[in-house]
Amino acid sequence: MKRHAQLLRTAVVGGASLAMTLSLAACAGSGGSAGGDSDTIHVLVYGDATNKVEKRLVDTFNKTSKVKAVLDTVPGADYQSKLQTIISGKQAPDVFFNWGGGSIKPYVDAGMLTPLDDFIAKNPKLESEFLPSVFNTAVVDGKPYGVPMRGTQPVLLFSNQKVLKDAGVTAPRTWEELLAAVKTLKAKGVTPIALGGGDKWPTQMWFQYVYDRVAGPELFKKAAKGDKDVWASADSKKALGMLRELIDAGAFGTNYDSVKFTDGGSPALLATGKAGFELMGSWEYSTLQDAYPDFVKSDLGYSAFPTVEGGKGDPGNIAGNPNNFYSVLKSTKHPEAVAEFLKLMYSDAFVKDQLSVGNLPTTTNTAKFLDQSASPEYSKYQYDLVKKAPAFQLSWDQAFPPAATTTLYQAVQQFFNGQMDTDAFIAAMQRLPAA
Amino acid sequence: MTTFTASAVDSGKETRGQRRTGRPVTGVGRPGFAWAAPAAVFFGLFALVPLLLVVVLSFTRWNGLGSPEFASLKNWTKLFDDPVMVKSLWLSLLLTVLGVAVQTPISILLGVWAAGRQRNRAVLSAIYFVPLLLSVTAVAVLWRAVLDPNFGVPSQAKWLFGDGNLFGAQTSALGVLVFVSTWQFTPLHTLLYQGAARAVPQVLYQAAQIDGAGRVRQFFHITLPQLRNTIVTSTILMVVGGLTTFDTVLILTQGGPGTDTTNSAYYMYQKAFKSFDFGMASAIALLLVLVASLVSLVMVRLSGYDKMRSTMEGV
Repeated sequence: MKRHAQLLRTAVVGGASLAMTLSLAACAGSGGSAGGDSDTIHVLVYGDATNKVEKRLVDTFNKTSKVKAVLDTVPGADYQSKLQTIISGKQAPDVFFNWGGGSIKPYVDAGMLTPLDDFIAKNPKLESEFLPSVFNTAVVDGKPYGVPMRGTQPVLLFSNQKVLKDAGVTAPRTWEELLAAVKTLKAKGVTPIALGGGDKWPTQMWFQYVYDRVAGPELFKKAAKGDKDVWASADSKKALGMLRELIDAGAFGTNYDSVKFTDGGSPALLATGKAGFELMGSWEYSTLQDAYPDFVKSDLGYSAFPTVEGGKGDPGNIAGNPNNFYSVLKSTKHPEAVAEFLKLMYSDAFVKDQLSVGNLPTTTNTAKFLDQSASPEYSKYQYDLVKKAPAFQLSWDQAFPPAATTTLYQAVQQFFNGQMDTDAFIAAMQRLPAA
Repeated sequence: MTTFTASAVDSGKETRGQRRTGRPVTGVGRPGFAWAAPAAVFFGLFALVPLLLVVVLSFTRWNGLGSPEFASLKNWTKLFDDPVMVKSLWLSLLLTVLGVAVQTPISILLGVWAAGRQRNRAVLSAIYFVPLLLSVTAVAVLWRAVLDPNFGVPSQAKWLFGDGNLFGAQTSALGVLVFVSTWQFTPLHTLLYQGAARAVPQVLYQAAQIDGAGRVRQFFHITLPQLRNTIVTSTILMVVGGLTTFDTVLILTQGGPGTDTTNSAYYMYQKAFKSFDFGMASAIALLLVLVASLVSLVMVRLSGYDKMRSTMEGV
C-alpha cells in the first residue's frame, strides 16, 4: 500500500504542480524552471494590488544579496488552494504568505515549516520590532512560525455620518446604544446595518466581536484548541441571545443573504445612504475610497465595536486579521538568505512603502511614519487601536483549520436567517474539527 | 450565421441524395474501430486514468500534504451518513429535472420556429445565440448584479420580488439557478432542434397539407416524432450538464443559504478545495459519476436510443 500511495501521490502532485508551473510562469513572468535554479529563493504571495510593494522589496533585497529572491504571485481567491497543491511538490516556495493561526497549522503538523526560534536567537529584532499582539498570531504550539509582512486589518464599525445625523443618532459606544440606534434608523426607513451575508464571512465578524466582548478572548482560544464545552457555556448562550435580539430588531433588514461585500453590494448600501452602519475590516476604507471618494471625504465615520455591559472581554479588544505573515519552509536550501530577507520586514523602507498603498504595518517603528500615510488620521486611529488592544482575535475562519471553514460559514448564516436556533448552532460549532 | 444555415441545408439534401442512389443502410459503410483510436487514446489518458486515481483516492485520507493514508471504507461510510450529501444528491437531481422540464419545451419551440427560412428569423436566431457565447462565470456575475436586491431589478419591481431576498431562501435561490442555466443553455439546444427541424423532409408536410392537417397537427404528428433522436441527445446533454452544475452555484449562491443549494458537484468542490479532504471529495466525485452514468443509461434504454432507429424509415 505504501508504495502505491507514493505512486499515487507522485502522479497527483506531479499533475498539479505541472499545472502550477505553467500558471506561475505565466502570471509572475518569472520564467525558467522554478525548481531547477539553486541560487534563488522563491517568495509566494497572494496576488493583489499590494504586490508592487513586495516587488520593490525583492528588488531591494536582490541588490545586495548573492542568493536572489524571486516573487511568485497567485491571484487572490485561489491562493489557499494553490498553496496547498504546490507546497509538498518540487515547486514549493521557500517563503510564503499566510494568515497565521489555523491557516498554517496543517503545514506545521506535517512538519513542513521551520520554527523561527533559531532565526530570532541570532537576530532578536525579528521578534522585538513587531507589536506583540500581532506577532503572537503566528505562534503555533508555542513556537513562532511567521514574521508580519503586510498591514494590520482590524474590524471596525463604519458608518454613514449623514444618515446618522439625519436620524439624530451618534456612533454607539455601548450595545444598548447600538440597539437604540438600530430602532431609530429602522423607523426612518433605512437599513440600520449593511451586511454582505451572501459572502458569509462578514456575518461571522458579528459573532467574533460579540463573543469577545461577552466572554473575553479565552473562550474562543479554548474552542479553537478543541474544547467543545465552551460553546454550551452560559457566556456563549448570552452572546447568541444578544445577536438574536439584534437580528430580530431588524438591524440587518431582511435581504442580507442576497447581498455581498465582494461584488460591492454592502459598501454601496453604506455609501449611498441606504444603510447607517457596516461592520468590516479596515480595508473597507480603501474599498470605499476607490468607489466613492466623495463619500469617504465627507461622511465616512468609523469607531470601535461597542462595549457590552458586564462582559468579561476588555472593551479595547479587537478582532480581524492581525496581519499577514511570511512563513519559511524546512525544505529551503538557503535559510541564511531567507533570514536576511525577513529582516526587511521591519525596515523603514518597508513601512513607508506599505503606508503609501494604505496598509498599516505592525512594526514598532510604524508610528514615526504615520504622517506619510495615504490618510494619516485613519492610520493613526487604527494604529492606536491595535497598539492599545490587550487582545487581537484572529478571524474565526482563519483561526480554525481549513477543514472547519465551510461548516462554520453555514452555521453563522443559518443562525442569522433563523434556519438554526441557539442549540443547533452550538451543536454545529461542537462538530468543528479543532486546530 | 447565414453560411452556417446554408451548409446545414445542403448537407441535408446530400444525405437524401445518397440514400436514393441505393447506398446500404446496414452500417457496412460506417468507419471501423481504427478511426476511433485517437479519441480512445485521449479518453484513456484524460478520463480513465484520472478516474482510476480518484477511485484509489476515495479509499484514502489525504489533505493534499504528505502521502495519502489508506482509510479503507471510511470515506464511503461517512458519505452515506452525511445528511448534506444525501440532500446534495436530491438537489442535483432536482436541478436536473427542473432544467430539462423548463429548457426542453422552450428549445423545441424556438428551434422549430428558427428552422424557418425568412430573413428576420435568421437575424433573431443569431441574437438568441449570444448567451451561448458568454462564459458561464460572466453570465453568473451578470445575473448576480441584475438580481441585487438593493441596486438591481428587484429594487425597481417590488410588486414582483418583495424584499428581493432571492438568494436567501431555498425556493427562490433554486429558481434563480434554473433560470440562469436556462438563459444560458437554451440557445445550444435550440441550435440542435433547429438543425433537426430543417432535416425533416418537406414531402411529409406537403402530404399532410394535402390531407388538410393544420400547423398544430403538423407539429405534433410530423415535427415532434421526427425530432425524437434529437430530443434524446439534447436531454442527455441537459442531464449531464444539470448533474454537474457547478460554476453557477459557486458564483450565484455558494451553496447557500446554509446548504440549501449545495448540489453534489459544489459539495465535492467544498470538500476538496475548502476543507482539503481529498478522500471524501473523491468519494463524492465517484458517486456523482455513478449516478450520472446510471441516469443516462436508463434514459438511453427507455428512449430506445440504443437501437438507433432512423426517423427516415418509411420516407
